[in-house]
Amino acid sequence: MQHTLSILLQNEAGALVRVAGLFAARGHNIDTLTVAATADPAVSRLTLTLRGDDAALTQIVQQTRKLVDVLQVEHPTHA
Amino acid sequence: MPLLKSSSAADAEPGISRHPLTGTSLSGADVVVQVLADEGVDVLFGYSGGAILPVYDAVFRHNAEHIKPDGSEPMPLIVPANEQGAGFMAAGYARASGKVGVAVVTSGPGATNMVTPVRDSTADSIPLVVICGQVATQAIGSDAFQEAPISNIMGSCAKHVFLVTDASQLEATMRTAFTIARSGRPGPVVVDIPKDIQNTTMTFKGEGELALPGYRARLRAIEQASLADEDCKLFFEALSRAKRPLIYAGGGVVAGGAAAALKAFVDAFGLPVTTTLMGIGGYDTTDALALHMLGMHGTAYANYAVEDCDFLLALGARFDDRVAGVPTQFAPRAKFVAHIDIDPAEINKVKQAHWHHIGPLDRALQRLTRFGKTHDYSLSLSDWHAHVAALKRDHAMNYDRDSALIQPYAVLEEINRHAQGRAIVSTGVGQHQMWAAQYLDFCAPRHLLTSGSMGTMGFGLPAAIGAQFARRDALVIDIDGDASIRMNLGELETVTTYGLPLKIVVLNNVGDGMVRQWQKLFFKGRFASSDKSLHRKDFVRAAEADGFAWARRLEQRDELAATIAEFLAFDGPAFLEVMIDPDAGVYPMVGPGANYAQMITGDFIPARTAPKAADAAATDMF
Repeated sequence: MQHTLSILLQNEAGALVRVAGLFAARGHNIDTLTVAATADPAVSRLTLTLRGDDAALTQIVQQTRKLVDVLQVEHPTHA
Repeated sequence: MPLLKSSSAADAEPGISRHPLTGTSLSGADVVVQVLADEGVDVLFGYSGGAILPVYDAVFRHNAEHIKPDGSEPMPLIVPANEQGAGFMAAGYARASGKVGVAVVTSGPGATNMVTPVRDSTADSIPLVVICGQVATQAIGSDAFQEAPISNIMGSCAKHVFLVTDASQLEATMRTAFTIARSGRPGPVVVDIPKDIQNTTMTFKGEGELALPGYRARLRAIEQASLADEDCKLFFEALSRAKRPLIYAGGGVVAGGAAAALKAFVDAFGLPVTTTLMGIGGYDTTDALALHMLGMHGTAYANYAVEDCDFLLALGARFDDRVAGVPTQFAPRAKFVAHIDIDPAEINKVKQAHWHHIGPLDRALQRLTRFGKTHDYSLSLSDWHAHVAALKRDHAMNYDRDSALIQPYAVLEEINRHAQGRAIVSTGVGQHQMWAAQYLDFCAPRHLLTSGSMGTMGFGLPAAIGAQFARRDALVIDIDGDASIRMNLGELETVTTYGLPLKIVVLNNVGDGMVRQWQKLFFKGRFASSDKSLHRKDFVRAAEADGFAWARRLEQRDELAATIAEFLAFDGPAFLEVMIDPDAGVYPMVGPGANYAQMITGDFIPARTAPKAADAAATDMF
């Protein structure tokens, strides 16, 4: 099943790589990825889509929340 | 660097404690060292090089200016043979002390040699701060000499990595690194500091950390989480329905400082306890209710208790593949699985819990103990206790006691007789690691130091060195294998350089014993590159060459007891190689893809049911 995740990220050196690297290291393929500045220049919004079952998605969301630069992870299509 | 002296501003504002160096101009390197001093760091492990020289010079000056009354340095810098050694020394220090271990290395190869200890420490939740020199900011990305993209490399294996490109952030970043390393689920934090930042003059603030709003908000929520009455009630109602409840305790008991709370809980309600490899020492292995280790090479009685339990309480444990190889068949009779962990990502990751709590383990256990006592939940577990005692008696660890060859288990039993669960023991990885976990007792946490998740051969010797710096007066023993110790054999010299009274045991079975065990089972005994009988290494002469005054090889079993006694009593570094039965195996063994009921117990531990023949190479499990 296709899922969309919306991630708020602090603009730190290497922060994007750490998110992308986490998904790769845990066996997820990112299908689409958009990164854009928010009203706060210190924060970016990262929107990505990926496929996976509910358990896999729950796990990758939890793991993403452990990244120090990550402010928030939302899964709007699943709300 | 200026000497510490209290500032007049601090004197003028009673009640507000200010850092005595607040407002002072310092170099970035001095700031790094001052924050280390403020964090209480009392030893550093590292190897120098071009890009870290300013920090090394600052450490040198700090030590020269703050020499202690006994003439010792406040922050000695211990130099390994290889940066990987420094990383495992810092990890051994952290594992033995519970404090943050600190390693300081140079850019490029210095930093990449730290990758293995950093990943190892993430996997075992060990708090480290690793400071790496980096080429100057203007040279980053130019393929400069000794340049490596450490932020990228470490980003995928550390808890967090900082690349400091703004000198004004250095002080706060250093302090924050310690906070991240030790908070929540602990882990290693890498701070990559370009050389020009180390040389920049800046004003020392003496306080302040990075904001990290996301991390801190999540951390606060977890640290403040408490069990509501309703949660406690659900827990105890399920527990009081259980007839065979079992605690499965992991490394979180050790990391979370929850051993005393666990003991109090067990004293109150009487649940038997089995621990993971990382949890060993979290519950006194000599206690009547202790079942020692469970899992792939767990004791038969622990694994049978897991098979039989109807209620499983997982504490700071994560159902990893060495424990729950087949998660659906793990604890198959457990009608209720309760799970407490500090990491939300571990709940329901492998095994669905019927009840869970995310928060500090010691507080959760104290709360449950109080609630259960207050509400008079008493369990009648005498049948279960009798059952567990019978399992321990009928399926006790055992081996070929009549063999003419020296059995590794006998060596460990002899060491155990002297150590009595009080020695700090590090290990390499493989058969000797499992034998040490099975045959040694551990009465308290932070006494077994072993690479649990990553399984890094070469861990034992440097980890023991780091542990001896954490516990200068303790008996520290490295139980190693001939193949494992080779990986970081250069650190033998580090032991004698610093005059550490380490005791190093090499159980020599002339090869990679665990690999051979798997090759026997699954590859028809084709010992592809695991046999080392053509290797020419003379370990005793190697140890002597590195300055060991006591270095012996034991080949006769009738000399075992006397040799071990003399070895452990030696006042100084000692090295003992024991030529063991090369065919000695690690039993019990729950084969890859098998469940606990299919456990092989070997020829000397009675099994409950006859094991089925191993289905060779039928699995991708490892």
